[in-house]
Amino acid sequence: MKRLIALGSALLLLAIVAAWWANSRQPKPIVLIPTLTGKPEYCLTCHSDLPEISKSHPIKTFGCVICHGGEALALNADLAHSTMRGGANPSDLSVVQESCGGSSCHSGTAEQNNNHIQRVLTSVQATYAGAITNILYTYGAEGDLTARFGIRAVADAQVTTSTGVPALQAFDPAGASNPAIQKFAVNCLFCHLNAQPLPGPQFDRLSGCAACHTPGIGSLPPGQIHKLTTAIPYTQCNTCHNRGNYDLRAMAFVPRSDQPQAADRVQNYYQPIAQFTKCEYELDCIDCHTRTEAMGDGDIHSNETQIQYIQCRTCHGTPTQLPSTKMLTDPNDIAFRQAQLNPVVDLELGQTVIVTDKGEPMWNTRVLPDGTYQLVGKATGQVFTFRPVMGSGCTQNGIDQSSAYCHTCHAVQR
Amino acid sequence: MSNLSRRDLFKLITTALLAISGALGLGALFRFLDYQTDPPLKTAFDIGLAEDYPAGSRSLIAEVPALLIHDQNGFSALSLVCTHLGCTIAQNGTGFACPCHGSRYDADGNVLRGPAQKPLRHLRVEVGSDQHVILHTD
Amino acid sequence: MRPTFFHHLHPPTIPARQARWRYTLGAGGTAVFLMLVLGATGALEMFYYIPTPEQAALSIQTISYHVPFGALVRNVHFWAAQLLLIVMGVHLVRVVFTGSYAPPRRFNYLLGLGLFVCAILLDFTGYILRWDQGIGWALVVGTNLIKTIPWIGSPLYLVLTGGSQPGPPTLIRFYTWHIFGLALCAMVLMVWHAFRVRRDGGIAVPPPHLRVDQARINRNELVRREVLAMLLTGAALILFAAFMPAPIAQPITDISAIRGEARAPWFFLWVQQMLKWGDPFIWGVLAPLLVLLMLALIPYILPNPAERELGRWFPASGRPAQIAAAVIALLIIVLTIFGSLPGS
Repeated sequence: MKRLIALGSALLLLAIVAAWWANSRQPKPIVLIPTLTGKPEYCLTCHSDLPEISKSHPIKTFGCVICHGGEALALNADLAHSTMRGGANPSDLSVVQESCGGSSCHSGTAEQNNNHIQRVLTSVQATYAGAITNILYTYGAEGDLTARFGIRAVADAQVTTSTGVPALQAFDPAGASNPAIQKFAVNCLFCHLNAQPLPGPQFDRLSGCAACHTPGIGSLPPGQIHKLTTAIPYTQCNTCHNRGNYDLRAMAFVPRSDQPQAADRVQNYYQPIAQFTKCEYELDCIDCHTRTEAMGDGDIHSNETQIQYIQCRTCHGTPTQLPSTKMLTDPNDIAFRQAQLNPVVDLELGQTVIVTDKGEPMWNTRVLPDGTYQLVGKATGQVFTFRPVMGSGCTQNGIDQSSAYCHTCHAVQR
Repeated sequence: MSNLSRRDLFKLITTALLAISGALGLGALFRFLDYQTDPPLKTAFDIGLAEDYPAGSRSLIAEVPALLIHDQNGFSALSLVCTHLGCTIAQNGTGFACPCHGSRYDADGNVLRGPAQKPLRHLRVEVGSDQHVILHTD
Repeated sequence: MRPTFFHHLHPPTIPARQARWRYTLGAGGTAVFLMLVLGATGALEMFYYIPTPEQAALSIQTISYHVPFGALVRNVHFWAAQLLLIVMGVHLVRVVFTGSYAPPRRFNYLLGLGLFVCAILLDFTGYILRWDQGIGWALVVGTNLIKTIPWIGSPLYLVLTGGSQPGPPTLIRFYTWHIFGLALCAMVLMVWHAFRVRRDGGIAVPPPHLRVDQARINRNELVRREVLAMLLTGAALILFAAFMPAPIAQPITDISAIRGEARAPWFFLWVQQMLKWGDPFIWGVLAPLLVLLMLALIPYILPNPAERELGRWFPASGRPAQIAAAVIALLIIVLTIFGSLPGS
């Protein structure tokens, strides 16, 4: 019996030593107490190798949980990740309000122009209203081209433009009798910022803000890119806008099978008949297309043409008119904030920049003393100089000035 | 080995094993209890722009608590925590008085009357490049 | 030396035949040890556990992941609680199968049964204290079952949850029941039960003149056996706890949006299985109460074993009781197995 008790004691000691050993094997928790929340989070225990997401979101201030959600205290990967907002993409529009919104952040300010989340939710890139409307109209389900449906229901309390509509219902193909509309609903509602992304990790984060502001996100597995930027290269736009072509007869989307090659941009575009001038394939998309065009103006529009207004003449003017310009005299001008977020130019008070029809400063341009203009690539920092049309040999009349007319002479051979 | 000593040996082994187990258990118990759940106390306080505290001013900063003094030598700060047992002292005439046990300090923080024995602590004051005044309590 | 409670429980000698493992299975003693372990680890958990809906699951995460040896303490508490129900079940079955419930032990049998009920309620309330997605449905279903009782259902629900749906008052009530109300009951019953064991003449044995084997063991031997059982149980618990974590899930943030585990805790799987058969009051409340009543009535309505047959397994004169207990145990085990099958 005494021997058994000695043995039992040995077993107990063994168990306690094993418990100490198991305890010492626990990962050493790395705590982070972001100044914004003041609550400890332990994500860095495993994720200390991630780069800072952007200059505007330092981890010491924001931490991880305020954007990503998740269980801040858990050291078990499954539990820690179980409540993450939007899974791999906290900026998915279904959760964006909690992740990126808030009055100090990207929504909720009184000024409509600053409520980026509402702007994106109402923009054609999110609603897909143009395509839905056109299909319904073409197949006779609707009598005009005014949008009534989006991928999800959305409303705008403050219509400010003549083409804005107050609200869209969620498009529900259940009532549609036409098989083409049914097919459209099955095959074509995956892209666009507010859609349920296609299955597969490469599509997980191609919705919401990340679709544009996290370049490279579609091409790499989750977790490899941790970045938010306003310097969006054309390659990121191409992730969606050069992904393939529509087949209207089959009412399907045909993804391209060839791999687009960055070196040969103009040949690479999915539509063989599309025409481009040199600047359209040498610059990045965002060098010309402004944030209002891309993210909307806060109104719900029926199609893309109602919100796309940058034309060749925005920068080049017409044979009879120089492009609109504006001298930056207000230190609170949005141009300075944009230049600070993407510091490719040293913008100074008193500089003159080109402005769009809607009065937005093209903050990456400037008027040079000799009457020519300069544009700095927002994603590349590359400097371009260009001349106005006025004073050149261009004989195009002053009324027909959309880019299609310019392409007649200036498009490159593809 | 005789029967008796053999029994003693087992007893000894058992006692030793249980003693080690007990010691390890007590160690684990101590480590279990010795864990801080709340985040460490704040030691740096940003109290706003330096221009809000003009020369010659003596400003009470309640959240620290401290008295920020701006005189000809620049900024300095006195902790308003009594050096006796940690109560927050209140201004009393030109000096300070502790409500708990009646310690008195003069305007520079020197002890006028016990039971406190040490003068008030001077806090480190830092004016950052953005002209914000930071008080450090560590 | 004045006899102490310890001496009361450990008389100078006891019959050797009935002190053997293969007779007692060591179940009663192990149950006492487990209850002591549960008290100690539970007290330690109270240093960190915060009984509010916002903080409960988070404080358990703190215990499990951050407090040194916190996971060990919580896991020992968890495994000891699970083991306690099994050990108590074994003890109950042993008592019936050996006929030990016969007078004068009838009352102590009821005390033991009360202790068992206390332990089940302690397990359930402790389970609810996690306040995470894993327990959400058990909480909703368990409390809604009370509502189905005619007449007193609604007031009883209020007594239990402190509101019209599970919320902050529910958690604090379950907490108080767990650490105080039920724990106190269990402690009183445990001491009383142990005290009565001796008062009723120790482990059931035939009267001296009918004993086959007159050998006895002394107090020291008994204590040694108990120590050995404690050492082995303790070692097993610690090993289990060090490598098998207790379940944990995401905190409940909205009681009306529970999306976790829909299965009852294992000790109520048999009730959950019966609930699929129909009326929740009949199958979820009456049936378990009936099982309890039948167990309680065994010493009172079924024939008691003869004196000379005491102190051994399966006395012929206790056959009806043995069969009744076996049928109940088998039913519960089968229902539990069915309830645990995936997709059930």
